[in-house]
Amino acid sequence: MSTMKRAKKTTRPGRVKTPEVAFLEKLAGQQSTKYRLAKGFGVLFAIALVLQAWALANVFSDMALHQSFSMSFLVLGLFALLVRALANFGRERVCASASRDIRYGLRRILLSHLTELGPARLRIEEDAALSTRVYEQVDALDDFYSRYKPQVFMVMLIPCVILLSVLPISRIAFFVFMLTAPLVIVFMIFVGHKAAQANRRQFGVLAMLSNQFMDLSQGLAELKRLNQTDQARVRLSESATNYQKTTMSVLILAFLSTATLELFASLSIAMIALYLGLGLLELLPWQVGSSPVTLTQAMFLLLLAPEFYLPLRQLGNDYHAKQKAEAAATDLLEILNVSVNQGVAKTTKTTDAADTVPSSQKVDTKDLLRFQKLSWLDAGRYRFAPITASIQAGDRVWLSGESGVGKSSLLHLLLGFEEKYQGDFLVNGQPFRSINLSAWRSTLAWLPQTPEWVNGSIRRNLLLGIDTPSDVALRAALVQSQCDEFIDVLPAGLETKLTELGSGLSGGQMQRLSIARALLSKADVWLLDEPCSGLDKETAQAVLVTLERASKGKTLLIVSHDTHPIAWANRHWVLTSGGLHEATV
Amino acid sequence: MKRLSNKTAKLSLKRLLLANPWSFVIPILLGVSASLAGVALLGISGWFISATGLATAFGVGVFFNYLTPGAIIRFMAIVRTAGRYGEQVSAHNHLLSLLRTLRLWVWDQRVAKDAANLHEQSRGDLLQRLVSDLDQIIRWPLVVFLPWLYALVAYLAVAILAYVILPDLLWPLAIAGTFHVLVVPFVCGRIASHSVHVGQILGVHRRSRFVSLFSALITLTIRGHWKDYSQRLAQLDEKQRHTEMRIQQAVTLGRLLAYAVTILLLMSSILLLASTDPLSGRWVLISNVQGTWVVGYILSLLAVNELVLPLVQSFVAQGQSQVGLRRLNQLHHDALPQKVSSTDAIQRIECKEWRGFHGSSGMGNKVLDLTVESGEQVWVRGASGSGKSTLLASLAGDCLSSGNAFINNEPCELYNNLMYQTRLSYLPQSPYIFQQSIAANLLLGNPEASDETLWAALRAVALADWVKSLPNGLTTLLSFQGRNLSGGQRKRLALARLLLRKSPVLLLDEPFDGLDKATIETICHSLQNDYKPDILILVSHVGSRIGDSSRVIEL
Repeated sequence: MSTMKRAKKTTRPGRVKTPEVAFLEKLAGQQSTKYRLAKGFGVLFAIALVLQAWALANVFSDMALHQSFSMSFLVLGLFALLVRALANFGRERVCASASRDIRYGLRRILLSHLTELGPARLRIEEDAALSTRVYEQVDALDDFYSRYKPQVFMVMLIPCVILLSVLPISRIAFFVFMLTAPLVIVFMIFVGHKAAQANRRQFGVLAMLSNQFMDLSQGLAELKRLNQTDQARVRLSESATNYQKTTMSVLILAFLSTATLELFASLSIAMIALYLGLGLLELLPWQVGSSPVTLTQAMFLLLLAPEFYLPLRQLGNDYHAKQKAEAAATDLLEILNVSVNQGVAKTTKTTDAADTVPSSQKVDTKDLLRFQKLSWLDAGRYRFAPITASIQAGDRVWLSGESGVGKSSLLHLLLGFEEKYQGDFLVNGQPFRSINLSAWRSTLAWLPQTPEWVNGSIRRNLLLGIDTPSDVALRAALVQSQCDEFIDVLPAGLETKLTELGSGLSGGQMQRLSIARALLSKADVWLLDEPCSGLDKETAQAVLVTLERASKGKTLLIVSHDTHPIAWANRHWVLTSGGLHEATV
Repeated sequence: MKRLSNKTAKLSLKRLLLANPWSFVIPILLGVSASLAGVALLGISGWFISATGLATAFGVGVFFNYLTPGAIIRFMAIVRTAGRYGEQVSAHNHLLSLLRTLRLWVWDQRVAKDAANLHEQSRGDLLQRLVSDLDQIIRWPLVVFLPWLYALVAYLAVAILAYVILPDLLWPLAIAGTFHVLVVPFVCGRIASHSVHVGQILGVHRRSRFVSLFSALITLTIRGHWKDYSQRLAQLDEKQRHTEMRIQQAVTLGRLLAYAVTILLLMSSILLLASTDPLSGRWVLISNVQGTWVVGYILSLLAVNELVLPLVQSFVAQGQSQVGLRRLNQLHHDALPQKVSSTDAIQRIECKEWRGFHGSSGMGNKVLDLTVESGEQVWVRGASGSGKSTLLASLAGDCLSSGNAFINNEPCELYNNLMYQTRLSYLPQSPYIFQQSIAANLLLGNPEASDETLWAALRAVALADWVKSLPNGLTTLLSFQGRNLSGGQRKRLALARLLLRKSPVLLLDEPFDGLDKATIETICHSLQNDYKPDILILVSHVGSRIGDSSRVIEL
């Protein structure tokens, strides 16, 4: 308890940093040099602003009073305006480049992180949705880094600079600014908070509306079959109208925040103008007959008045950028928080090194794979219970068990994507952590439930990542996997395109192509994850027969449910939550 | 609205602007008055202060009428605030009605598509992009058109003031205005538009490559080639970064140019208004020009400058809207001429030299002749990949086919023929379940059905007990694409929906897949009694009672 209290004290009261905010700040920290440069440009901008107002005020008052003016003041004023423009130009460039560096760097990190996660990435979301996060969501941070973040500094800087320069000239104007600025901020926060809430709700409703549109659109074929497209149109139209009504009632409130700002800005400009005007006429009730300011000073104040509120107004406009960025950060953090946990693996490695050495001496090196009390404990829960078993080269092992017991996790471990295991895992007598991972992986072939395909021809997919084999070898692999039957009747043969859309090939045919690919890769160890579960019984049987013939002489570990028994496997393991036991074949 | 709802119309920005002109007039008027009030507020204040200063200097300050200008200034302040507020509210109202119109337009285009093409567009990410395109486009009037209009009107207002002061001022003003409102935004928009376009294409490309590569991640990794492939992904990203940089450069450069134009305008105006006095070395305003007015004029110009600055960015945004529009217009589809055929109940289906096939791969069943008469039940069997499902889909008019079909002995085009399709019920291999309640999903089969009818249909497919066990029963909301249902439940729910249509022809694709014996038995019983169709064509690899009593077609 006491530590918690202390922890609370260190953070500012009432402002607990959410992980999203911390994440966004950490990323901004990478570009601190650029942001510092941007601040420098900001300071230049503010100075030029005051200089311009002062020079033009001199020109204006001379013009009004004497019908003449000094050209040097005019040139100075216009020069200050040019400096402002240049400072702004530099600031925008620097901030845009900082935002780019942050975003593209983050994207690289995300991509390599997802690569390291391997199959574990699918625990977060499917690939298409992940691509949205990696591209769209990362770009959603742009406005935050290129506009909102630098603007926060300007919002503090410019009013301060203006207040300082106003102070020696007119106390009254100083107080008008001093009084309205906090009021503006308070009202902004007050109304802005409400607006943010309303905004979030509106966002939710809009998402729902898009969802409805998506849902009806995706099922359009079905609606056509049911002859219900007109009813769906009416529904779309009605919900859009309803949405318009509810949103408008929300927006009327939300825009109040902008309106308050505008009101304060306009009124204080008007107030200062009137005060200055009356002051110049020497008609102010409390000092009739004398003027508090000269015309030049009055002009100076008038020129600065709108600039005082401008940065605040811009920040108000960019406020949604912050919300958007925080929403995106939530999604991105979800990816980055799924850890590969190599750090944990290293510590266990040192602790069990002592056990490994004696046990590995006992190990018969003719075992291709050996698991010794191998388990995987993730967040206090067993991904799979400790198992002890071994596989010799040439074994064809059928691994069955209920879903969720960790069959796929064991395969992912063999593929080298998970290193968070406990116990010993030996390959050819060597601890798995010490072997050359890429050499080990090159002996593997991977045949998952949904075969892995890239966009491109069947040929390109078969030869994915391997050296081009001779035509004879290719043909032989096709015949052995019985792909020749259906490829030969395809109009484009091996050049038929496989796309994300599917190709018109059936699930069984895709699995056969997978087998052909495994054969072509000359891998000795085949890992299969429920290769038949998406297929109907007949097709599954046929694929298994092909697999039996094609995989002779290879080492196989096939995960398959009892509904698709692997009759020809020479060993049958059953994995349960209690561990692994070998069933009689 | 009428123009857009015209189903054959293509979309354009102009059409978008005129979609609902009357509701657009209000935000325009409000926005214009707010912008003018903003410019006037500064201009009048400047004039007011210099005039008061002058009056005092001449010792006539006491007689100066400060009430009227004071009232005008306060009025301007209020108009600016109220106008801006009203503009935002009414413009968003307009925007939302545009969203509705556009959505319905997209819907109409998609309804007009034929089945095979429709399938291609129904992919999740494509649709997602469509939705975000819509959101992008509807913002066009708000972020591009209105700011441009305000800048233009403000320029016109300042031109009146300039004319009053000195008609010659109109020259530099007109030139600067042309640059500010037309040349700079359009040129920057043009420069950026190429990059915007390339960027959009790259974005799509990058995304599909990501999905394609990651779907083969493990294979590529274990083959040791992941690095090469992921490097290509990084290259695409690098290209994207360059286009992004070019767009941003165009925007910042445009803004700098706008500033430069303002500075030149101020300089040239002053040079026109004043001449150097050789005695004092100071610049003196030429005769007939009031210094107080000049002050007001210059301040107004500075206010106009603020209105002009956002234009460049909004013209770059226009490029994005245009790319979105182009993509939406690809959806555009001229209304199909509806094929006419009789509306009599289907008594007889006869197909000669018939072959159904997929447009993309050309795969399908082998050519066959087929005749089904009223009262018949047919069981289509065959090995996986023999084209059973394709044959059934082609009979349902859902998929391309070759050969001749005769309905009730009359030649009839089956593919995409609504008149034909409404007279039959077809259960595809993976039917779509909507993200609505169970009842709403079922009512799509028959909107007039009573609750009792719905329960009867659910009993017929052995789902009634399951629905009863749900806390919300028939009103249970189903998740996206029915993901909280098992494959078997999804199919049975779709079957119940079809049974509610009571259509005389029933085409079922693998209705028994993944079901236990008792459930298959229940469904067979329903299909042979309460829900018996005149013609039943069944594709199944599972044996069933109904299959046993059917004529078998082996593929």
